[in-house]
Amino acid sequence: MAGEVLLDVRGLVHAFPLGRAGSVRALDGLSFQIERGEIYGLVGESGCGKSTAARCVMNLLRPQEGRVLFRGIDTCDPRAFRAGRRLLQRARQLIFQDSASSLDPRMRVWELIAEPLRIQRAAPPRGSFRAEAEFQMKYVGLDPGYLDKYPSELSGGQRQRVAIARALAAEPELLVADEPIAALDVSIQAQIVNLFKHLQAEHGFSFLFIAHDLAMVEFLCSRVGVMYRGRLVEEAPAGELFARPLHPYTRALVSAIPIPDPRRERARRPVEFRGGELPPGGVWTEASPRHFVLLEGREPL
Amino acid sequence: MSGPLGNSPRSREEGAAPPLLEVKHLSVSFFTDAGEVQAVRDVSFSLKAGEVLALVGESGCGKTALCRSIMRLLPRSGKIKGGSILAGGADIARCGERDMEKLRGRLFSMVFQDPMTALNPVMTVGEQIGEAVRVHRPRASRREVRARTAELMELAGIGRPWERMDLYPHSFSGGMRQRAVLAIALAGEPAILFADEPTTALDVTVQAQILDLFRDLQRRLGTAAVFVTHDLGVVARVADRVAVMYAGKIVETGTAEEIFYDPRHPYTWGLLRALPALSKGRDSLYAIPGMPPNLANPPKGDAFACRNEYALAIDYEEEPPMVQITDTHSAATWLLDPRAPKITPPLGGEARGG
Amino acid sequence: MSAGRRALWFGKKLPALLLSLFLLVTAVFYLSRLAPGDPLLSYYGERAERMTPEQRARAEERLGLNGPITAQYIRWWENALRGDFGISYQYKMDAAAVIADRAGNTLALGGTGFALIFTLAPLLGALCARREGGLLDRALCRLGTLASCVPEFWLSLAAVLVFSAGLGWLPSSGAYSVDGGGLGDRIAHLILPLGVIVASHLWYFAYMVRGRILEEVRADYVLLAKAKGLSGRRVLFRHCLRGALPSYLSLMAVSVPHILGGTYIVEAVFSYPGLGTLAYESARYQDYNLLMLLCVLSGGAVMLSGMAAQAIGQWLDPRVRAGEGPL
Repeated sequence: MAGEVLLDVRGLVHAFPLGRAGSVRALDGLSFQIERGEIYGLVGESGCGKSTAARCVMNLLRPQEGRVLFRGIDTCDPRAFRAGRRLLQRARQLIFQDSASSLDPRMRVWELIAEPLRIQRAAPPRGSFRAEAEFQMKYVGLDPGYLDKYPSELSGGQRQRVAIARALAAEPELLVADEPIAALDVSIQAQIVNLFKHLQAEHGFSFLFIAHDLAMVEFLCSRVGVMYRGRLVEEAPAGELFARPLHPYTRALVSAIPIPDPRRERARRPVEFRGGELPPGGVWTEASPRHFVLLEGREPL
Repeated sequence: MSGPLGNSPRSREEGAAPPLLEVKHLSVSFFTDAGEVQAVRDVSFSLKAGEVLALVGESGCGKTALCRSIMRLLPRSGKIKGGSILAGGADIARCGERDMEKLRGRLFSMVFQDPMTALNPVMTVGEQIGEAVRVHRPRASRREVRARTAELMELAGIGRPWERMDLYPHSFSGGMRQRAVLAIALAGEPAILFADEPTTALDVTVQAQILDLFRDLQRRLGTAAVFVTHDLGVVARVADRVAVMYAGKIVETGTAEEIFYDPRHPYTWGLLRALPALSKGRDSLYAIPGMPPNLANPPKGDAFACRNEYALAIDYEEEPPMVQITDTHSAATWLLDPRAPKITPPLGGEARGG
Repeated sequence: MSAGRRALWFGKKLPALLLSLFLLVTAVFYLSRLAPGDPLLSYYGERAERMTPEQRARAEERLGLNGPITAQYIRWWENALRGDFGISYQYKMDAAAVIADRAGNTLALGGTGFALIFTLAPLLGALCARREGGLLDRALCRLGTLASCVPEFWLSLAAVLVFSAGLGWLPSSGAYSVDGGGLGDRIAHLILPLGVIVASHLWYFAYMVRGRILEEVRADYVLLAKAKGLSGRRVLFRHCLRGALPSYLSLMAVSVPHILGGTYIVEAVFSYPGLGTLAYESARYQDYNLLMLLCVLSGGAVMLSGMAAQAIGQWLDPRVRAGEGPL
């Protein structure tokens, strides 16, 4: 199902300075592609560079090397960025983990949702900004009765819906969601994940979904990339990846997912993975169709 | 319960030893500007020596408040309104702060959710563990304290303790910090360990290591534990018994097998059905509709009624009683009343994947 | 931090420090000379008014006041770099000697005041934090806010009115009685000005400590410390106060000149012969050399304490100190 490539990330390198101790490479040659209409999951342990990748994709950080192509526009090139600014700012939207702190507490819900439109000085497609906000709220399953509420009057799940409605108001093509459900309760998580799935399946939105809850990633994502120390070590369609993990790190990761079934869970033995640096110069190999894995030089499959 | 799990509560019952901890009709409220928030409402449970009880529920259901009220570590606004907490031969609910200081660390200690904030950033890890050692061995020499500190660090799985005890928390990774917190908690050889979401902030691979360490230590030292979590996968790994909490109450309690393979409360069904593992290959996850009630103003009748697709008329009028199903299993739902109509539960009965 | 790194750190800060000192000196030099008034008056007294223009020119030359201001400025630097800060017109002796004479008095007042505030503030702050919201806490908060809001000169006058004029317990002015007197006499003279200084500054610092401790009290690690079985007092002192300490010490370091400078007004009201009265007089009577030296000294003190505050903040907090990532 090779579709149109919406986002093409090529060889990103980004290092954060660490005082006198040198620097740490958060991204070390990260490459992946997102096709239009798919939910691409990025997983890995904390500190593996997932969030840095999201920030580079959103142009919040400038990678030291590599390129981020969005619909063919090189967003890291200042000239190309300026030329395509309007499109780039509208078509990519970010959803944070902590919606409580990403929503201005002094704005009402409808103002929050309509804000991206105002900033772009776009004429509201549905007459008024308020009507536009109401439309987006229904879209994400929020009662329009909340239009005049402030974020503090909403629950965590409702706030996350407001954040999503706000992102959708700009009519984006790509939604970058950085741990969007980590701060939510189990039953609310399911609601938000269902909403993402609905937006993708029914309305064709594309997602970069970053999460550490692997069970949710397996359920939601079309394809999943596994990051380790700033680069991908494996990438495959979700079902394939979790059923047949190839890279030792992915194996350890998948085997560590707790199973909500006492007998099977207690019989489970997690696979150990000896951490440390990856040997340089691994080979990115297609092990089976659309299933890629980073092979260390000599090691056979 | 099967053999390898060891701490079968049933086998311990024959010994007729009194439970280590017995909470009876405990009610805890927070007095805030918005009024009284009834965080824990009439909760009763008991904990036997060496067993692990998991408290499961969504945030705000009262599980953390319950643990902190047993340790008497509630913030100023929190008050125990009624009920008793029997442990170590005394009613802790009526103990003064002085007596509590003697019990904390010895009778029970605690591990928190966020290992990043649980350690004092301006004290070395060794100092903080040593401090806990000194509470229990006030006469120990400096060298003895350090030796015991190293021993505890090793116990908690921190290699090369002599080098690492002089480091500050910021040079420890999340998993290492949680091990350090565990070392502090174990310093007084407590009979009961409260673990409040101890692995929620950790990566899956680290979570697996910490859970295994926890289970291993708990069995080797014979420590009983109350394990607070929202993750049913974690519950499946560590718990002997499970208590499901909703809106400040325990709505169902039973052995891990009973809760996972034969759940009886609609809320427990909802929690289990919402797991992504159960929706594999489907278009959408099951989601419990609506939201938990506001405990500043709990609804009349069963607090879960308005989210419950199996709710009966009486659920909106009267709170359901706790119905005993087996020796160890009970649930608070009108569906178990003999007069209730028969329904087919959405899951349970079949031992999933067993 | 190693000694080498420490030296490097100071080496980096030093040029900025010297530059600001230079700018300060320049500004004060020009401003003081632009101010109206006759510096000869303070040296020659009334005689200056009866001088012929010729005598005047000679006198100005003798005191180094001849020529354009910029020439005088350059001359001042030449002498200053040789360690010669000129004479005080009013006291007719080396400015440095005049200051050395008075510095002891100011240090006795300001130094003791600082020491008292330094030790009392954390204790008071900790006491209030421990009983947050209680009667004692609320009473102290009100009282302290009041004391720090009332201007120092007013507080000084009120103190004189009550304790000297009214009750007659304590002397109202000076550093010692006219007939000399021993240590007891000097202490008696110190009590009122000291009381005013401590009263007007203490609460500011105590309140800061209280706030920082309350911030720490709400942290998870305090809960863990309690869960270990530590007593409330131990948790407060070992953990909360310790957490508040780096910022407290930094603040206190910045405040050294603030508290010492605070003595100026108090010294003026109590006619206490310290640097404060001296600074006031030197500005008033165009005693340029004295003014410049006082300026260099107090400016240097402000900058040094600021630097010390930064250094303390960096060295006491292990998170800043290391600057390294986790294992």
